[in-house]
Parts: sequence; C-alpha cells; structure tokens
Amino acid sequence: MRFLGISFVSFLLTSIVVANAYYQKKQFYPSVVYITKSNPSMAVLYIQAFIGVWILGKLMRKIFFGQLRTTEFEHLMERSWYAITETCLAFTVFRDDFTPKFVALFTLLLFLKSFHWLAEDRVDYMERSPVISWLFHVRILSLLLLLGALDLHFILHAYQSTVTKGASVQLVFGFEYAVLITVVINIGIKYALHSVDLNSETPWDNKAVFLLYTELVMGLIKVILYVAFVVIMVRIYTLPLFAFRPMYYTIRNFKKAFSDVILSRRAIHNMNTLYPDATPEELQAADNVCIICREEMVTASKKLPCNHIFHTSCLRSWFQRQQTCPTCRLNILRTPTPPTNNNIPGAQANQVPNAFFNVFAAAGPNPFQFQNQPNAEVGANVAPPGPPPTTSGSAATAPPAGENLGNGAGQAPPQFMFPPFPFPMPFMVPPPPPPANLAALSEEELRQLEGNERHNVEARIQCLRNIQVLLDAAVQMMQQYSVATAQQQPPQRPPEANSTNSEAANGSTPPTNHPTSSQQPGTSASSSGDAGDSKKEPPIEITSATIVNGVSESLDENSTVTAEEELRRRRLQRFLQNEQQQPN
Amino acid sequence: MAGSALRRLMAEYKQLTLNPPEGIIAGPTNEENFFEWEALITGPEGTCFEGGVFPAKLTFPPDYPLSPPKMQFTCDIFHPNIYSDGRVCISILHAPGDDPMGYESSAERWSPVQSVEKILLSVVSMLAEPNDESGANVDAAKMWREDRSEFNKIAETLVRRTLGIPLRPYRAVMANRDQS
Repeated sequence: MRFLGISFVSFLLTSIVVANAYYQKKQFYPSVVYITKSNPSMAVLYIQAFIGVWILGKLMRKIFFGQLRTTEFEHLMERSWYAITETCLAFTVFRDDFTPKFVALFTLLLFLKSFHWLAEDRVDYMERSPVISWLFHVRILSLLLLLGALDLHFILHAYQSTVTKGASVQLVFGFEYAVLITVVINIGIKYALHSVDLNSETPWDNKAVFLLYTELVMGLIKVILYVAFVVIMVRIYTLPLFAFRPMYYTIRNFKKAFSDVILSRRAIHNMNTLYPDATPEELQAADNVCIICREEMVTASKKLPCNHIFHTSCLRSWFQRQQTCPTCRLNILRTPTPPTNNNIPGAQANQVPNAFFNVFAAAGPNPFQFQNQPNAEVGANVAPPGPPPTTSGSAATAPPAGENLGNGAGQAPPQFMFPPFPFPMPFMVPPPPPPANLAALSEEELRQLEGNERHNVEARIQCLRNIQVLLDAAVQMMQQYSVATAQQQPPQRPPEANSTNSEAANGSTPPTNHPTSSQQPGTSASSSGDAGDSKKEPPIEITSATIVNGVSESLDENSTVTAEEELRRRRLQRFLQNEQQQPN
Repeated sequence: MAGSALRRLMAEYKQLTLNPPEGIIAGPTNEENFFEWEALITGPEGTCFEGGVFPAKLTFPPDYPLSPPKMQFTCDIFHPNIYSDGRVCISILHAPGDDPMGYESSAERWSPVQSVEKILLSVVSMLAEPNDESGANVDAAKMWREDRSEFNKIAETLVRRTLGIPLRPYRAVMANRDQS
C-alpha cells in the first residue's frame, strides 16, 4: 500500500516535471535540454527510474518466484544491505568516473544479484518441500537460463570494453558477472541433482557426494576469480576493499567444502574397509529399521563393531561429522579392529584421546605417567641400568609418577594410539641404553621426538617403553635385594635390623611378599595391554622408604659400602627410628 | 524420491500423529515446508507450569537428522534454561562439539537417534526440573534457587496468560520485582 502511494507520488511528480518543461519550451528537444539542465527535474526523474526498477523487480519476482517465503525475504534483505554497502565502497574507488550511467550499471548489477540469491534459496527449498509442481520447474529453468544469458552478455561486454578502451570500471563488472555465472552454474547443477533425485524411485545415496564435489569445484573457481580480481585491482587501481568481505566468505566456504570432502572420503574409506556388510539374517534378527533415516533396511547396510546396523549411506553422512556410533556413541575409530592403520591422525585427534587416556589412567602408576613431561627430561631422570648407585636417584623418580597421575588426568591427553604391545620380561635381557642426559641426545633423536607425525609418535613411544623397561628392571633389582636381606638377617646390628623390618612391615610391601611382588611387572604389562581396571594393583608398590631399606640392607650385605654411603645409611635409619617412635 | 531429511521428518510427523505422547502436539506449520514445525507443550502436572499450554516453533536444518533442530518458545516464558527470547537451551539440542555452557557431556548431546518426540519430552521434563547450573536465563535461575515462591508466582501468571486468563500481567510482575 505504502509502495503504491510512493510510486503514485513519484509518477505524479514526473508528469509535473515533464509537463512543466513542455509548457515552458513547447518543443521536444528544448524541453529535453531544459530537463537535463535542471537538477530538481533530474532528481525527480532518477527517483522515477529507481521506482521503475523496483516495480520491474516486483514483477519479475511474481513471475519467477510467486510469493516469497519469510526466510527467503530475510536472506534477501540481509544480503542486499551488505551488497549496497560494498557498492558504496566501490564508488569510492571509481569516484572519478561517477556518472549516471555508472550508477545505473551498479543498480542493474545489484538487481541481478538479488535474483541469483533468490534462485539459490529456491533451489535449496526443493529438498524441503514434498510438493514440487511443474510450475516450479518451469520457473527455475527459465530464470536460470535468463540469468545465465544476461551474465554472459555482460561478461562479453566488459571484456570487449576492456580490450578496446583499456582497463576501466568495466573490469569490476566483468568480474562480478563472472562470479555470478559460477553461482548460476552451481544452482543449475544442484537443481539437476535434486530433480534426478525427486524423479527416481529409490533414494539416491550418492547425491550428497556429488553435491560435495560441486561445492568444492565451484568454491575453487570462485576463490581463483577473487584472487585474480584482487591482484588485478591492486596493480591497476588500489586495494579493492569492497571485494574483501565476499572474498573472505568464499575462501571460508571453500575451506569448509574441502574439509567436508576429506572427511567424507575418510568416512567412505572406513566404511569400505572396516565394517562388514550386515547379512540378511542379522537384519532379520534386528529391528530392521535404520535409526538414522527411520526407514527399513533392505540392502546396503553396515554393521559396526558394537553390533548396531545402519544404512551405508546414512552412516557415511554421519561419519562425516562424527566417528561414533549414533546409538551407543562407541568411538568406532578406537575399537579394536585389525586395520588400525587406516585411521588418519586428524580424525583421531578429536575422537581418541578421552577414552584412550583411560588406558593410562587405569593402568595405575606405571612409567607411562611420564608422558606429560618432556621426553628428554624423563630420559635424564631415569637412573641408568644396573644397581642404582645412590638411593636418592630412585627416590626422586618415584614421587613424580604419583604427581603426574593427578596432573595428567587434567591435561591434554596424548593423541596417539598403538596396539597393545606384548611386554617382554625384561630382566634377563639387557635393557636398551637410555640417553643419560640431554646432551647425549643427538639432534636427530630430538627431532624424532618432536612433531605429530606417525614416526614422531613412534619414537616417543619407543622412548617411553625404554623407560618402562628400565623401571621394571629397577623394581626387579630392588626385589632381589630385599629377598637377599630377608634370607640373611644381618647379625651385626640386631636392633636396627629389627627396626627396619618393622618399618618394612608397615610399608606396603613386606619382605615376605616376594612371590607376588615379583609378578607385578607381568601384571602391569597385561594391564597396560588390555586396559583392565588394575587400579587396585599398581605395578610399583614399593614405597621409597622400603626401597631405601632394601638398598641399604643389601649394600650392607655386600659390604661394598663406601664411607659416605655408610654415613647416609645410618642417618636414614636414625630418621626412620625417630619416625617410628614419634607416633608412640 | 524426496531427500532423506524430508522423508525422515515425514515419518516422524506420521509417528507423532498416530501415537501422540501425552501433553504434546507437534507438526509442520505448513505442509508445503516440513522444516518448520509448531509444537504445543502442556506444562507437566505437579509443577508450577501445570495447566499451561506453551507454543513453540522448531526449525530443522537441511541436514536433519545429522544436525539438531532449533527450538524457540513463541510465548513469554520465564525459566532458567530458556533464553528470554524463547530459545531453548538443553543438551539434546546441541550438536556434539559445541557446548555453549561448558558443562555437558557428549553422551547427552544430539545424535540421529534422537527425534522430535524425544526433544519435546526432554523439554517437558526440563519444565518440571530446571537445571539451574546452566543459566540461559540467569534471573530465572537465581530466582529458582533463592526465591521459589516468587518464581512460582511468575510461572502461574505465564500459565494463565497462555490460557488467556489474565491474572497479573507478566511485565507488571517483572516490574514489581525489579523495584523491590
């Protein structure tokens, strides 16, 4: 209603202007000259032209779209505002040739652009509505043809103008229409895919894949166009600020399309290699309805390791987003399927860590808790093989294990995965030589430990394994010492020996427990292997106090003590005695 | 053959029409567009929302059921887990990965197994038992925790308003609260 009023007023004003000119000049040419010379008259005529364009737009919308839906209208408005702002920015670049013709060309561009947007929305709507009439097809097809023809025409026009007259504002138009024609092609392909899907009797599973690749190719072409345009503009004029926002969105969309394609390929690959097809018997036994699309599963179904069955195509599009079972959220990438090599680290980074970290947490305080420390430092911290020369070495390594258990749970979990490795009983085997300190690590070894590639991860795991072997060896050694002390009670110092024995009894590993404690490395190996809840039975249960005792006793036994060690041993024992007496 | 999202929505609509859960009505606003739904939810019995009929709209993404729909109440509603513009904030409506409040585990997030019916049932139970940990509406969460009787009073006003029985205007209640 308001629009009708405005157009009526505008039409009235135009008539008055024209009539006035004709009344004053009486003849055609003088009146035309009079109107063009008079600014108010021209302003009225411009407004009239604008309203004419508006009316034409409404008419075209009625012809090609009928009633606009609310969302379509909102999209149109939103995009128009951006486009108008950008047009104003473009005016600043070309302010020298700011003529009515120039403004008219930009208005035309905006006008055509808005129809491209509407066509895009309308084709997307095809997927949403169950009723697509023949009128819809006629409208979309004719609109696409018209838009494509207009775009082509303007591109050719811009090209010829640039070739004959040199670079001008036509460059911008040529480029804008080139982008628009990619949009038309994109819409056309989508429309074709949707139409084929609508007319086929069975669901067309590969449509999503085709759409993905269309998106990718068109995105690439657009990105190339934008980059070329910006480069040309920078060389000839100045920085085209007005092209930056659309360029940014194009690049972002392209990036998204690219990652979508990668994820989709990965999902398809996993589907084809990891999971078996569901057999008809299994389909019969189960509910036979795919929980994703709520339709019956007749063919092409896949069974996940958790025994849930889905349509292959449904599962594929879900795996593109997430690598979990839709029903039970089992992380399918880390379930024990033989070809774990198929997994690509990028996907695991999102999915694996939480569950995977549990393996470490459940295994109790085993040497892998060192994982959050820099590896080189760990290497330096671990005592070299053979009998520990000082007790402080092992006492110093023990507490961090406990601390790291707490810290590690809150920190970023490790992002790697390896099959449960068979754990060798390492005690008779000479353990691999660890780097004694940082300086001993060669540049190459250090480089191996960095990075996120597979071989880096393997190098790190190798380092951690070496540490575990060493620790197990140390534990074993401690046990041997304590066995030796238990068998031969030293007669030299009866009171002190008693005190240490009672202290050891207070500790978690009394000397009489050797058979079980000597098995502990084995249990730790199996627990880290199958990730059972072996929290109750941590592999290294010997507290530092008992280690100190055992070592001191054994040192005593062998009578190879130096004066220094003898001194410290006495101090320790005195300390322990004090400690015992204090509670009493 | 129509797209899979459309087929699934049609199947759900059929299911909801054949076996409607108690106290819930839902369906497309316009049968030409199955991606915009309207729902009517009755306030659960024995709660302060008892007896109310709350209209909401559901907007489905093109890749439904892989992504969750959005839900927004179209009436005034005062609840800890509903934004003041009516948007509903519950974990079942959040895709795994985005966590606006930073407290949800992925087990309660959206997955294709969920459905419109389950969403609406969750919303009913959310009306009955607000989760004041995740304050979508901080005022409501605070009042729910600290001044339950005032909360109940506002809820009652809203219920009456949805039924067209004005008791005290909602805005007036809110204004009184602000003054005091």
